Amino acid sequence: MSDQNDPMAEIRASFFIECEELLEALQDGLQEMDEAEDGSEDPETINVVFRAVHSIKGGAGAFGLEALVRFAHRYETVLDEVRNGVLHPDSDAMKLFFLAADHLSDLVRACRDETPLPEETSEELLTRLDALLGDEGGAEEVAPEDFQPMGLSLGLDLPDLDAPTANHFTIRFKPEQELFATGNEPLMLLRNLCDLGTSSVRCNLTDLPALEDLAPETPYIEWLIELETEAAEPEIRDVFEFVDGLCEIEITGGASEPETTDSAPLPEAPSEEAEPEAALTEMPEPQVAPPPPAGAKPEDKEAAKETGEGRKGGAAAAKSVVRVDLERIERLVNLVGELVINQAMLSQSLDEAGLSPHSDAMNGLEEFQRLTRDIQDSVMMIRAQPVKSLFQRMSRIVREASAAVDKDVRLITEGEGTEVDKTVIERLSDPLTHMIRNAVDHGLEGAADRETAGKPRAGTVKLTAAHRSGRVIIEVADDGAGINRKRVQEIAVNKGLIPPDIQLSDSEIDNLLFLPGFSTAKTVSNLSGRGVGMDVVKTAIQSLGGRITINSEPNKGTTFSISLPLTLAVLDGMVVNVAGETLVLPLNVVVETLSLGPDDVQMLRPGHYVVRVRGGFVPLYDLGVMLGYRQQRKTEAGAIVLLIVLEDSTRAALVIDGIQDQRQVVIKGLDDSFYRAPGIAAATILGDGQIALILDPADVIAGMGHMRGADLMLSERMIANE
Amino acid sequence: MTEPLVLQPKLDLPAAAPLAEALRGRLDGDVVLDGSQVTQVGALCLQVMLSAATSLRSKGHAMSLTNLSDKVVEQLAQMGFSPETLAEGRG
Repeated sequence: MSDQNDPMAEIRASFFIECEELLEALQDGLQEMDEAEDGSEDPETINVVFRAVHSIKGGAGAFGLEALVRFAHRYETVLDEVRNGVLHPDSDAMKLFFLAADHLSDLVRACRDETPLPEETSEELLTRLDALLGDEGGAEEVAPEDFQPMGLSLGLDLPDLDAPTANHFTIRFKPEQELFATGNEPLMLLRNLCDLGTSSVRCNLTDLPALEDLAPETPYIEWLIELETEAAEPEIRDVFEFVDGLCEIEITGGASEPETTDSAPLPEAPSEEAEPEAALTEMPEPQVAPPPPAGAKPEDKEAAKETGEGRKGGAAAAKSVVRVDLERIERLVNLVGELVINQAMLSQSLDEAGLSPHSDAMNGLEEFQRLTRDIQDSVMMIRAQPVKSLFQRMSRIVREASAAVDKDVRLITEGEGTEVDKTVIERLSDPLTHMIRNAVDHGLEGAADRETAGKPRAGTVKLTAAHRSGRVIIEVADDGAGINRKRVQEIAVNKGLIPPDIQLSDSEIDNLLFLPGFSTAKTVSNLSGRGVGMDVVKTAIQSLGGRITINSEPNKGTTFSISLPLTLAVLDGMVVNVAGETLVLPLNVVVETLSLGPDDVQMLRPGHYVVRVRGGFVPLYDLGVMLGYRQQRKTEAGAIVLLIVLEDSTRAALVIDGIQDQRQVVIKGLDDSFYRAPGIAAATILGDGQIALILDPADVIAGMGHMRGADLMLSERMIANE
Repeated sequence: MTEPLVLQPKLDLPAAAPLAEALRGRLDGDVVLDGSQVTQVGALCLQVMLSAATSLRSKGHAMSLTNLSDKVVEQLAQMGFSPETLAEGRG
């Protein structure tokens, strides 16, 4: 039973995926309700919220997840009162709804992972939810345990579209091959459908071929279900949610649409009407009719097909979505990676063959390159997901964090639709959580301090995402007091992180926050300050190929900006030679290349040089020395230098031996079993099959950090003296 | 009278092709399907049986189902069939 082909296990898994989506819709709906002016909520929003909880309950019931059903049911009962206009949630009630939604998602996850359920919290929240009913919904006596499939207690007289009148629906359901391949069975769906009310099920066998011609794994049959139910069409659609895109579904009828044209027989074929009818079977009143003769008449099939198409056209064109196993996409991404490498190799061999750049082969190759790039972009788009789910998780973090430190905090999110590689999203969750907690705990002042400073009592944390020049920028901004730089420096000195007499610029002081073991909170709250500092955040962001920067203004607030690559799979790189090795530098950091003249380099102290670039001085590093490929040379004159600018505006000049090429490279991660070499981010395979290391320039420069601050100051002084 | 064909316990997707194969070999006479072990009937196997029933009838033979549990009969009903209508290939 427990083999991997167990259809129940697969359905269960897809139920939990579905739950995540429903929880997301629930959060969205609640957010919308919360933001709406009192009484101006869109009734559809409340419906969405209600339906999300209801669908979770329904699915949970099918899997016997009692605790989940129980909680969802009572939560739903309260939401139903809101839907029916009996209960008008105030801000406290909305807070409770949010808490209940959070708890519902905890329960879903606990059920999914089969971990112990937080029963106590359930009880507490249920008591509070029931209290809402007791206070406001007094007109109605709801027995909390009264398990009705739908909360339909009131609202009979309300002009609500979802009002519980008995609706008659005709549902046509034709499974497709993929439905079975994904472990689903029509039986389950039919059963769930029949649970909604009184139904009669007929099976249309018109297309079923004789056994000799039958492909056993291809579905030929379709079902027509006549359903009398109090449920509305969305509830019926919910039944088929798990098989969305895996079957043809057509729902006609309903209260507002008593008769439909779709289900009418073809007008021009009265004589044939009997034929499809004969092939329909009905339970519980089976019709006695002769079976269609083997090898049914082709025109009958045509007629049936036409009917099918007519119906298809009548159904609203729903956005069709395919769920794909991430592994398959990974495989595709890898293949495209290979394609890029292969194309580079081909390009190189054609080059070496001495073909004219205007030859057909070269032109063709150019086209090939463009296509490869397009394919690559498209594949990356498959993996891209909006950051919305991540942001929603953060709104919960804000709620919990603000409650823990007793601050009133509002989270504003922007750019939720910004798409980022799925892997990036997953790995951003922890660092972002930490940053949000920090913003609430350390960033924002207490209400009293805020009032003294002339700010509103409620603090604001703003979370934004945007695409900027090929990267994703995510910002966490608070409107707090800003970084207390004096204190930060004090702590850093006390902890021995920096020498006491060092002069640091504002941004250098801000960056001290990222030093391991740094914590400014005077008291360790139970929220942040658990020994996990911003250095962990920085490491996590860096491991994603990202950078984090701080911008803080006294009394206005602090903004942390994370800049991330759009994808972790490809990189536009500059291929360079250093001491006989081939290395790749991310192209986006290289701003200029120069060749050094004899007077361009000035020594600060032995082994430490700066280079004059456009009236300024930039620290000069020999990449070969930094990576341990060679000893410091006596003179760098004549060498080629790459001028790079990092995310935090740090500038540096890197000495290299030569520039080979500028091209897109496929990032191949280095196995964990390798020693993590400082300054090396990953590796790639070049066109000639050679392996080249991809540098992480920020890490390379950071390796020289101990001399950087001093060097920069010296070079600034040199500019001043000029 | 040929031996009854004993149906597999789980008549799901993997069972459809072997069932079709077994039935194709028996289209030259009456077929008795023994459902005593069946716990689950899926739509694909249902199709195979319906198609076999129609094919058999067209050749003048009959198909019958025996020893079905109540649970299986209920499953058939939920899909719009009774054991009899199924055996006749018309549901």
